[in-house]
Amino acid sequence: MRIVVIVLLFLCCGSALPALAEPVEIRENGCKECHRFSSHDKEFYKGPDLFFAGNKFYKNWLTKFLQSPMVIREVNVFSGSNVLREESKAIDSHVALKEDESERVTNFLMTLRLPNLELGKVDEEPLSKGERARAKVLFERTFGCISCHRALNLVGKVRGGVSGPSLINSGERLKPDWVFNWLKKPQQFMHEGRMPVYDLNEETTVLITKYILNIRKNP
Amino acid sequence: MLPVFVVVLGCGSETIPSQAETPKIDAIESIDSQSVEMMISVTQETRQLYQRYCAQCHGVKGKGDGINALYLVVPPRDHTKSDYLETRTDQQLFNAIKLGGLAVGRAPCMPAWEHTFEDKIIHTLVNYIRELCNCKTL
Repeated sequence: MRIVVIVLLFLCCGSALPALAEPVEIRENGCKECHRFSSHDKEFYKGPDLFFAGNKFYKNWLTKFLQSPMVIREVNVFSGSNVLREESKAIDSHVALKEDESERVTNFLMTLRLPNLELGKVDEEPLSKGERARAKVLFERTFGCISCHRALNLVGKVRGGVSGPSLINSGERLKPDWVFNWLKKPQQFMHEGRMPVYDLNEETTVLITKYILNIRKNP
Repeated sequence: MLPVFVVVLGCGSETIPSQAETPKIDAIESIDSQSVEMMISVTQETRQLYQRYCAQCHGVKGKGDGINALYLVVPPRDHTKSDYLETRTDQQLFNAIKLGGLAVGRAPCMPAWEHTFEDKIIHTLVNYIRELCNCKTL
């Protein structure tokens, strides 16, 4: 009986434990000068918002990215006037962390999540050839995603705009649930983005999510 | 499969919409029947919206030289040039913004903004484009 009580107490207290403390690396590296860690922070539009990093990124990818940053979006966006300027196509180098620092920061970022997202809508079934062709038409023509996002053409050559994040190899970076929710209702992540809002039904959202996450370029 | 690929490769070309896109054209006709000559003046908000959304492709000053312009098969429209824009009615510009390029027989790279902007906002953007080109429909 005592053991049961102790276990129950542990479970109750455990669930009430505060989220992982913010590691010092966040402050030391000035992460909050470019990224928002809370939806209440002023919008920067410089680095991506991180207050839903746990919903959005795969842990393994994020750990590696923080050690060897790569360019995801080729333009910097200035916060002052909220204007994409011609000269903004210069890339600020992202700080690189050591392995242990990267793991601490990643573990913390993984705790940053939004509640009430729709989960489990995207199954693991790969797209058939026909579905892939249909999704490509939707992606490139119907919704014009290619205008702002890097993707691949039929022979694997890089094409597409640069004002949005690159979607090449995005399946290594982005979680399907997050992409689904972003496409369905981007306002829950960002008050005003730069992407058009689409009124997609669930089937189309799943189709495009799977298509996006399968834009793969071999190294 | 070939027809599908032809459609995909057509992204960026100014082709006539395919049969499958006909419902969009119907939508345009229904909008045409409405009175859209609303006098909505350009505000600071209009300019900011243009900068936030349109400038990505059309450029900060509307010259068609936005950050994405270099990567598009069809160059984004230069909104400061009247040659083409004075051949378009305000309704045609409204439709292009609201329903996207594909729906009006233009480049599919221009997305539809119908779920992003209310109609009155789109009208103000049309008026702002008229300001940029310093032109009216002929």
